[in-house]
Amino acid sequence: MADVPDALVLKRDRDLEGRQNEIWIRRALMALVAAVPLVALFNVFGQHAQTTTLVAPAASLKIDAPTHFRGGLLYQARFHVTAREELKDAYLVLGAGWAEGMTINTIEPSPISESSNNGRISFELGHIPAGESHILFTDFQVNPTNVAFGRRQTVWLTDGKTRLITYERKIDVFP
Amino acid sequence: MDIVFRGIFLFAFIFLLTRVIGRRELSSLEPFDLILLIVLGDLLQQGLTQDDYSVTGAVIAIGTIAVLQLLVSYTSYKFPRARRVLDGDPIVLLQDGEVIERNLKRERITQEELAAQARGQQIASLADVQWAVFEPSGTISFIPKKQ
Repeated sequence: MADVPDALVLKRDRDLEGRQNEIWIRRALMALVAAVPLVALFNVFGQHAQTTTLVAPAASLKIDAPTHFRGGLLYQARFHVTAREELKDAYLVLGAGWAEGMTINTIEPSPISESSNNGRISFELGHIPAGESHILFTDFQVNPTNVAFGRRQTVWLTDGKTRLITYERKIDVFP
Repeated sequence: MDIVFRGIFLFAFIFLLTRVIGRRELSSLEPFDLILLIVLGDLLQQGLTQDDYSVTGAVIAIGTIAVLQLLVSYTSYKFPRARRVLDGDPIVLLQDGEVIERNLKRERITQEELAAQARGQQIASLADVQWAVFEPSGTISFIPKKQ
């Protein structure tokens, strides 16, 4: 047999002795890499909006907002309040989880007033006649350093001090 | 601080990707590969520094990548077992003018591609080759038969 080039070990490099598993390890790792975009198709990493509708005798509240986010992304949360009975002074109150690590870019239409309600953000929507709606668009951006798993976001709809609807959801923010 | 973690994660991910994707894909730099490379670099940058446009951020990111690369290089140099994992081993594709089908198949290389590579090194026929070795770098070395 002709001289074997330096540093080549025929058993290892030609006959692949002890290297049979390498190809399977490589394939398994490749499958792992390919699994990430596949999983992403199912909205695991965001940020497709989810719709939740909550109904109370006096009003209903429909929330359209994603629950999975990634750092830096812009998103919108839409709060659709429909008065089933007259709401004299409606308030939409958001728990701290809505603003934690997020930049609030804009809120349209501007609420009559904004205030703190025991550490929560309270938007006064005002009078909503029975059968009419008020849609509040809030645009956020996830701060790039914001990472969270299972962070709670709570929403309250009140008429004056009367609590009509309470809703809590959990969000994940991927780095 | 998070740039360092991002840097470590992305470095590990790209390293893993280059190891599992196969050497063959990395050895050629066709126009499409070049575009992919640029796109990949851009995507990496976004994930690494995001909205940080500061010089400090860039220095942290570059420093992290440089240290990791040095670490990999040193580990590969110092520990032969680690070298096998980090760099891979060569694979003999041809001996005495006879191709080793099993090894070609493993690396997804056809005989035609092997012959084309040989022609690139002024070797007209694979029968004239004593050894063809697929190197960890993704290139194929041809050692002609002695006359």
